[in-house]
Amino acid sequence: MHEIDLYKDPYRFDTRQIYSIVYGDQLIEDDSPSDHPYTGAWDFSQITTPFLPPVRYENTAYANQEESDTSIVDLPENQDTITQANVLKNEEDQVQELIFRIKTSRSIPYRGSLANRLLALYNDAKEEDSDCIGIAPESLRSFNKFLHLHTNIKCPIISLTPEYNIYASWRGKQNRVFSVHFLTNEDVRFVIFKPNDRHPERKIRVSGLATIDIIMETLTPYYIEDWVSE
Amino acid sequence: MKGDQIPDPDHIARFCKPMQVSEGQIQATAFMLRPDEEYLSVNWLEFLNCPNRDSEITEIRNIYSAKLNVGARAKLAVINVGEVCEKVLTESPDRRNIEVLHDPMEDDLFDPSHSGIYNLKQDDELIAELILETVLETYTARH
Repeated sequence: MHEIDLYKDPYRFDTRQIYSIVYGDQLIEDDSPSDHPYTGAWDFSQITTPFLPPVRYENTAYANQEESDTSIVDLPENQDTITQANVLKNEEDQVQELIFRIKTSRSIPYRGSLANRLLALYNDAKEEDSDCIGIAPESLRSFNKFLHLHTNIKCPIISLTPEYNIYASWRGKQNRVFSVHFLTNEDVRFVIFKPNDRHPERKIRVSGLATIDIIMETLTPYYIEDWVSE
Repeated sequence: MKGDQIPDPDHIARFCKPMQVSEGQIQATAFMLRPDEEYLSVNWLEFLNCPNRDSEITEIRNIYSAKLNVGARAKLAVINVGEVCEKVLTESPDRRNIEVLHDPMEDDLFDPSHSGIYNLKQDDELIAELILETVLETYTARH
């Protein structure tokens, strides 16, 4: 019987593959026809070790990788020597890795189109200001976690706030709106616009602060899941 | 003149970055403040003294292309001043009284029609969504 090597899936753990999607400061376009990263754009033989990101992967079972937070940043012991540019580069690496993780996450049905949208937003932000972070990594991490907590949620409309945070919106009939601003520390601010069923000429408008793990539960009285879920 | 209230029947244009536009549709993020911003920058269209909307938009595109890196997917949102103030006043939970004031730039970034939407805060997602609902017309920002 063949043994499956859980630690050698080239699409998951080879950090060079991450660069086949997003690499450094370059604006890139992933036109891969599949959900797997397009490898043709890069000559891996030209990418030498110093370009690899300072990311370490824990050796855990393949099946557990998708939901777990596997990246641990290896910062040098003497952090005083880290320049602002190094920090920015490190955050960009985190963003690129998170987009890659979304693209390869089988629990997100629209992973391919969503990853492409995130890449487009990243490139748009970088095109406007090459020194900016592109997408705030903590916000993207929260968004990724939210998607894994709610795997039946429809693909949202994504844009970036002026602070490069993820802002996801779902729009429905009768001008229904549900928008979530993904902040740091897994906090979210949300907005709901929905018709007032008892007073059709009026609208219900609600906004507030929650955390990603309880937001949908908190909003149960507003029947959000009825129209933002598949 | 700086600080003048823009009349209710007049219109303003807001530059919306590509990262605030999805599939050609402007999103509420286009009406959110940066952490260091006191007001939302806009331009007063009637101040330009153009004969029609098309020439106003052409003039606004000239202004933005001189000041900003205008991406291919960037958009302009046109909003009526009275409508946006009324909408936010009557539909925001705190009955917010936003003001649209003339704020001409006379220095290097010469922009005499420059104006601002005041009395916004950094955590105003709901008001950004209300402003989005008042957008009357959209145009590409690039020539």
